[in-house]
Amino acid sequence: MDLLADLTPLFFTLVFVGVLIGILFGAIPGMTATMAVAVCLPLTYSLNLREGLALLLGLYVGGISGGLVPAILLNIPGTPSSITTTFDGYPMTVNGDGEKALKIGIISSLFGGLFSAAILFFFAPALADIAIKFSYVEKFLIIFLALTVIASLSSNVLVGIFSGVLGVWISLIGTYDVSVGGNGDTRLMFDFMVPYLEEGFSLLPVLIGLFGLATILQEAEKGVKDEPLCADVSLSNRAKFSMRDFKGQIINLFRSSSIGTFVGMLPGVGGSAASVLSYTQAKNFSKDPSKLGTGAPEGVIASEASNNGLTGGALIPLLSLGIPGDSTTAVLIGAFTLQGIQVGPLFIGENMETWHTMMVALVVANLVMFFVMFFAIKYIAKVITVPKYILYPIIVMMCVVGAYAINYGIMFDVWTLLLFGVFGYLSGKIGIEVAPLIIGFILGNSAEVYFVKSLESFGTLTIFFTKSPIAMFLWVLIAVSITYSIYTTVKSIRTKRANAGH
Amino acid sequence: MKRLLLCLGLIVSVSVVTPVADGVAAEKLITGNMRVVIGSKSTGGDTYQNSAIVAQALAEELGIDVKVDAVGATAAFKTMERSGQDGNTIMIFHDQAYLAYLYGIKGSADIFKELKIGPTIAINPGNAYLVPKKSPYQTIDAIIDACGKGTKVRVAIQPGGVSEIGYTAMKNAVKLKYPGSEENLVAINTGSQADKNQLLFDGQADVINGSVQANEQYTRLPEDDQKAMRFVWLTARKGTIEQANPEGMGQTTRDDLMKFVEPNAVVPYDASSNFVFDKEFIFLYNKNMSPELVAYLDNALTKIYAKGEIQKIQKKSFFIPDFLPSTESGPYLMKKMERIEKIISGMK
Repeated sequence: MDLLADLTPLFFTLVFVGVLIGILFGAIPGMTATMAVAVCLPLTYSLNLREGLALLLGLYVGGISGGLVPAILLNIPGTPSSITTTFDGYPMTVNGDGEKALKIGIISSLFGGLFSAAILFFFAPALADIAIKFSYVEKFLIIFLALTVIASLSSNVLVGIFSGVLGVWISLIGTYDVSVGGNGDTRLMFDFMVPYLEEGFSLLPVLIGLFGLATILQEAEKGVKDEPLCADVSLSNRAKFSMRDFKGQIINLFRSSSIGTFVGMLPGVGGSAASVLSYTQAKNFSKDPSKLGTGAPEGVIASEASNNGLTGGALIPLLSLGIPGDSTTAVLIGAFTLQGIQVGPLFIGENMETWHTMMVALVVANLVMFFVMFFAIKYIAKVITVPKYILYPIIVMMCVVGAYAINYGIMFDVWTLLLFGVFGYLSGKIGIEVAPLIIGFILGNSAEVYFVKSLESFGTLTIFFTKSPIAMFLWVLIAVSITYSIYTTVKSIRTKRANAGH
Repeated sequence: MKRLLLCLGLIVSVSVVTPVADGVAAEKLITGNMRVVIGSKSTGGDTYQNSAIVAQALAEELGIDVKVDAVGATAAFKTMERSGQDGNTIMIFHDQAYLAYLYGIKGSADIFKELKIGPTIAINPGNAYLVPKKSPYQTIDAIIDACGKGTKVRVAIQPGGVSEIGYTAMKNAVKLKYPGSEENLVAINTGSQADKNQLLFDGQADVINGSVQANEQYTRLPEDDQKAMRFVWLTARKGTIEQANPEGMGQTTRDDLMKFVEPNAVVPYDASSNFVFDKEFIFLYNKNMSPELVAYLDNALTKIYAKGEIQKIQKKSFFIPDFLPSTESGPYLMKKMERIEKIISGMK
C-alpha cells in the first residue's frame, strides 16, 4: 500500500516531463541521455528520492530513445548508442520510408525497454552474480566480439579493417588516465598538442563530425538546392507502416533486447557496444545479410531494441552491486548519494518500496516514451521536408552548440567537430570506411584498458584462451562471427561476378 | 498542487543552478553565477555530494546561483589557471589535489604554488581497506606480518591519490617492522571501485582500497558469498570517527567502525607515531584572487557553519564537518602534506 501512496500525480508528471526532456536531449545531436540526467540531477534535491528517481528514469529512457530521431532522419546519431540505427534508418529515410523507420525504431525501443525492465525485476540479484564472473579478460573478449562487426560492415574487408584499426588508433590519443589504472602519461601526440589533446578526442564531436558534418559537406559540394531531403516522409507509392513489418523479427527483437540487457549489466563495457554487438548478430543471423546497411528494418530493430534493452541492464549492477552499468547510471547514482542512500548488494532487500517505485517509473517511462514518440512522429518526421538550405545550417548550428556543451564549454571540441567533419568528407573520397572507423574509435579505449589490465593481472597472453569457460565460449562466438563475415563476403563477391558474367 | 507547480517550474526551466534564497550579504563582492568545478568526473561520488551540499548553502548565503560541474582534476586545474580571479569560478577537491603532485602524476598541479588554498569544509572518514571475508588476514597487522614473513600481498588501488596513500603507509609500516620486506606488498593499479571489487572477486587482489559508503553492504554478506568482504583498516583518525553519528553507515554503527581505527588497527608511521589520514575537502582558488574575495567567502562559510544546519546535512551523509578558514587551512594542509611527503619519498 506504501507503493500506492508513492504513485501520486506528481510522480507520473515527473516521469512524463523527464521522458519529454530526455527525448529532446537524445534528439539534439551532441546532447545525450547522460547530459540530461546530469543537468537535472540538482533538481532532485528539492524532491524526495522516489520522485527524484521518477524524473531521472524518465530522462534516461527518453534520452536513450530520442537518439533514433536524428539517426534515422538526418544520419546523425543523437547518442553514441544509436550509431547503428543510422546504418539502415537513414537509407530507409532516403528511400522514402522515414516515418516507417521511426515507428519500427520506437516499437523496438519499447520492446527492448520493457524486456530489460522485466529481466531487471525478476533476475537482478542473480544476474549480478553472473556479471561479476566477467573479469578484464572476458570484458576484453566481449569488446573484441563487437569489433568483429567491422569485417561484416565493410564493403571491402581489408579497407574496413584498416579503417577500424585507424579508429582504434585515434581513440588511444590522449592520456592513459590514472582513473582507469593507467600511468597518467600522454601518448600518440607531439608536445605542442598536449594542451588540446590531453584528454583525447571527445566521442560526441567525433561522432557528429564524421556523420553529420561530413554528410552536409558532401551535400554542399553538390550544391544545396531549394529541395528537401525527401519530399514526403512516407511516399504514397510505398507501403505504410504496419505491424506486419515485424513479421519474422520476433527472434531478432528478443536476441537484440537480450544482448542490450546483457551488455548493460557488465560495468565498463559501454552502451555503444550493445547496439554494435546486436547489429553484428542481426547481420550474421539474417536471411539476406547483404540487405543490412541498405535500409533493412531488421537493422533498425536490432539497434533500437538493444540500446533500450541497455536501460534495464545497466540498472542491474547499480542496484545489485552499487556499481553503475553505463555512463548514465553513473550519474543516476548521484540521486542516491545526494539523498544519503547507499546502493550495494543489499539495496533491493533493504529498500523494497524504493525498488518497486523505480520499477513502476521504468515501465511508465517506457510507455510514455512510446506514446509521445509514436504519435508525435509524423510531425517530427516532417523535419526532412524542410528545404536543405534551411535545414543544414540549423543542423550545423546545433552540432556546434552540442559539441561546445558536451564538456562544459571546451572550444577544442568544436574544432574536433570541424576536423572530423572534413576528415569524414575526405574519407569518402579516398575510400576510408567511416562506420568501421567510428566503431573502432568507440570501442578502442575500453579494449586497450581491458587488454592491458588482463596482461598485468595474469602476465600471459594464453589467459585470453584459458581464463574461464565463458572466455572459451566467447572465442567460439568470435570465430563464428569472423567466419560468417568471410563467408558472406566471398558469397557476395561470387554473386557479383556471376551477375557480371551474365 | 503548489508543490507540483513549483517542481514543474524548476524542471521546465532545465536550470542547472542551485535555487537561490534570501540572505544576501550586505556587500556583494560576487554577483551573478558561481561555477564550482570539482576534481572528479563523477556525480555519484563524495566530491560531488560534498560540493553540492556546500554549493546549496553558499547560494542561500550569498544570494547567487551556484552550479557544480564534475569536470575532473585536469580540466578543473586548467579552469582555475585561466579563470576565477573574480571569484565566480572556484574549485572543490580533496587531498588528491596535492597527493597526485607528490606521486608525480602528469597534469597535476602544485596547489601550494599554482593556486590559492581556500577553507577546508568536511572530511570523508570512510577511506578503507578491505579483504575477502574468507581471507586469512584478520587484521591490518596480520597483513604487515605476512609481508615481513615473505608472503606477497597484492593491494588493488587507484594510483596517485587517496587510494594509494594508504598503500604507501602500509608499505612504510612493513619497512619499519621488517626492513627489506616492503617489496612483498605489491600495488595493483586499477581504476574505479568496480574494478577494485572485481579484482577481489577474481582472487587477483588480496586487499583492496574502498570506502565505508561503497563497501559497507558487502561486509554484511554471508561468508560463502563470493562478494563478501571485511574491513581491516580505516585511515581516518580515531577522533574523526568519534564525531560521526552513532548509527554510522548502513547497519554498521560508529562503534563497529571504531574497531578499524587506531589503537585497534595500527599502521606505524615511524618509531613514535602511527599513520592516520583524514580525506579532507578543500576550496581552491585562482592564484590571483584578491584577499577581499577570499575573506568574503571565508565569512560566508563562517556564517553558514555558525548556523549549524550544514553540519547536520553533512553528518547525515556520513561526512564530518571540518571548517577551517583560509588563514588556517593553508598552513594546516602544508604540514599534512609534508608529513605524507616523507613516506612517499621514502618509498621511491
